[in-house]
Amino acid sequence: MDSGKTTKQILKEKLASEKGTPLYNPEALTKMKKDFEVWQNTVVLEKDRKNWFVTPQTIMGSEIPRGLLYTPIDNEHLDYEKDLGFSGQEPFTRGLHANMYRGRTWTLRQLSAAGSPEEVNSRLKMLLERGATGTNLALDLATVQMFDSDEREALGQVGTVGVPIDCVEDMEVIYKDIPIDKISASIVTHYPRNTSIIFPMYLVMAERRGISWDKLPGSVQNDFIMESVVRSASEYIPPRDDFRVQCDNIEFIRKYVPRWNFITLNGYNLREWGTSGITEMAVAIANGIEILKDMGKRGYDPDWVGERLAFFWSPANDFFEEVARLRAVRRLWYRIMKYRFGCKNPRSMWSKCHVQTSGVSLMREEPMANVARSAYHAMAAALGGAQSLHVDGYDEAYSVPSDVANLLALRTQQIIEAETQITQVVDPLAGSFYVEALTNKIEDLILGEIDEIEKMGGLVDVVDSGWLHNKASRYIQREQQMMEDGTIKIVARNYFRDPNLEMPEIWVKEYDPALAKAMADKLARIRSKRNNEKADNTINALIDACKKGGNVMAACVECARADVTVGEMRRAFVKAFGLWKTPIFA
Amino acid sequence: MASNGKIKVLLAQFPLETHSRGIITVAGMLRDAGMEVILMGNALPAQVVETAVQEYVDVIGISTYCGGELALSKDLMKAAQKRGIKKRTVFLIGGIFPPLYIPKLKKIGFDGTFLSATKEEIVACIKAAVAAKK
Repeated sequence: MDSGKTTKQILKEKLASEKGTPLYNPEALTKMKKDFEVWQNTVVLEKDRKNWFVTPQTIMGSEIPRGLLYTPIDNEHLDYEKDLGFSGQEPFTRGLHANMYRGRTWTLRQLSAAGSPEEVNSRLKMLLERGATGTNLALDLATVQMFDSDEREALGQVGTVGVPIDCVEDMEVIYKDIPIDKISASIVTHYPRNTSIIFPMYLVMAERRGISWDKLPGSVQNDFIMESVVRSASEYIPPRDDFRVQCDNIEFIRKYVPRWNFITLNGYNLREWGTSGITEMAVAIANGIEILKDMGKRGYDPDWVGERLAFFWSPANDFFEEVARLRAVRRLWYRIMKYRFGCKNPRSMWSKCHVQTSGVSLMREEPMANVARSAYHAMAAALGGAQSLHVDGYDEAYSVPSDVANLLALRTQQIIEAETQITQVVDPLAGSFYVEALTNKIEDLILGEIDEIEKMGGLVDVVDSGWLHNKASRYIQREQQMMEDGTIKIVARNYFRDPNLEMPEIWVKEYDPALAKAMADKLARIRSKRNNEKADNTINALIDACKKGGNVMAACVECARADVTVGEMRRAFVKAFGLWKTPIFA
Repeated sequence: MASNGKIKVLLAQFPLETHSRGIITVAGMLRDAGMEVILMGNALPAQVVETAVQEYVDVIGISTYCGGELALSKDLMKAAQKRGIKKRTVFLIGGIFPPLYIPKLKKIGFDGTFLSATKEEIVACIKAAVAAKK
């Protein structure tokens, strides 16, 4: 399979070898081209003819030029069967399921924000009672960065942007009375190492409740791009080791927790950090390709692995681009799985996705206007056929969402689902000359960026060299310039800004030192009551697994069973792999 | 002050801060405004101060989104006091934090606090504060 050819070369050859039937009659197109030219030269104003293509300038936009009018001429080679098909059928452009939202609406999955394990448990239950159909757990910064609540680095940050988790006991509190075998849980673990550490705590919690692992539905993030590129911190391990940890987690979860999505290839945070929607998808897919190659080396069938891969996307302001992106990436992933990896199982060719509306697109100025922005983002996600959705709170630029903002976001989802009626018809924008042309263009551009990465040696190499970091830095700088000079119009900020603008009173979460104290007391209690010899042995076994190639998640499960804490496991990883400094560019 | 007469700025984040879009943005703004920028990344307050001493910077800028700004900033000022650079250094903090922390952060010792600002506002603040400390 790995013939030294890039993904783009493989797809080009395979697709060229398939015979197809163009949707539009060539004779009709020939006549149309003539008529179009006449129309352009006689009816269209000269200034519009000269400026036929306009390049949209939006936050995190892809700057794909748009024509004034789209026709079948822009879709000359469109082949219904090869390019679109019916919903639930290859190439899945029109959706993963035949009936899409008539069968089951997307999962309404709101992030449950910050607070103590007890508070978060109440908030999860509140959202479920009001109609959320899945849980979504944000971790506090110390937990994301794998520090215990009582370490010096965690000072002043316990429970600020998510829930603190130090050990299995915290998991037991967070998911108390929630039927974890029925309600799917998304645990936003970010990094591979973090996933190795936190997810076993969830598994041991289930074990202690007597629920077997094969019944658990849900997902973790487990994406090395988050650790090695998007996030910054003082203690990271080298990207190649992190990539291996990512694949160890995948191997373990696929084997022992079969209903669990073992990776959420996270385009979202990369884009929100600073890339276009094209790079967002190219990097996530390049990671998917690297994973399948690695799992192939470990002896696993891509059909078996592929079934549980999921993606995470960020829809921003350019409405049609966002719809087209979701359609394009579904088709591209299908083609990669089928033609590059030879998959036969349709489920393994699905690119299931969770979508969170864009946070960077939301503004501090007149924050209630963000409700409108997020609703359009969410609408694009639904028209694009997303499987799961979080809508941002209007207070995004101020704080983690207040309960009011969180509920309003859930209501936005419910209005789209129950009132707008857009869910009645599957893939309703298909066949639009514009949307199909844009879908094709976006697929080409994503594949082009994957090609660029593969020609430089693959994703791990371009991360290790800092190439991707530098690309994002340049994007961020340029975008900021365009926001400041007004090239990118932002309502209420640089476009029709209120000269008497006042910042509104917005609830923001203040730091509560009592929580850190409670977490520290709990840690002291756990460390004194557990069998410390057993805990030490499991930590040493984890270091061994890291160094000698054993599965690191299997070793972390033993640590969790012995009540080893998050920080203790982090230090074991660092001891085994050493530290890597994230390259940053200005 | 750098030997070429440029204002020298050290930009850093506290150890756990994961968001770097802001610090990258500001680094570019200040560089474009003719300042010399050192982008340190994540570090404990004492390490930030140590680098500031070695590099003889005029300004220390902290980028924060996820909390810890009050507790860790107190550590930063203590370390600066101890190493004798508190008086001559301009301290800035920017990012996302509760607006009602602004007076508290000023009391801790920051010369500028930014929840949202343009390049012009940040550059003007730095120039005025550096001139005032001379």
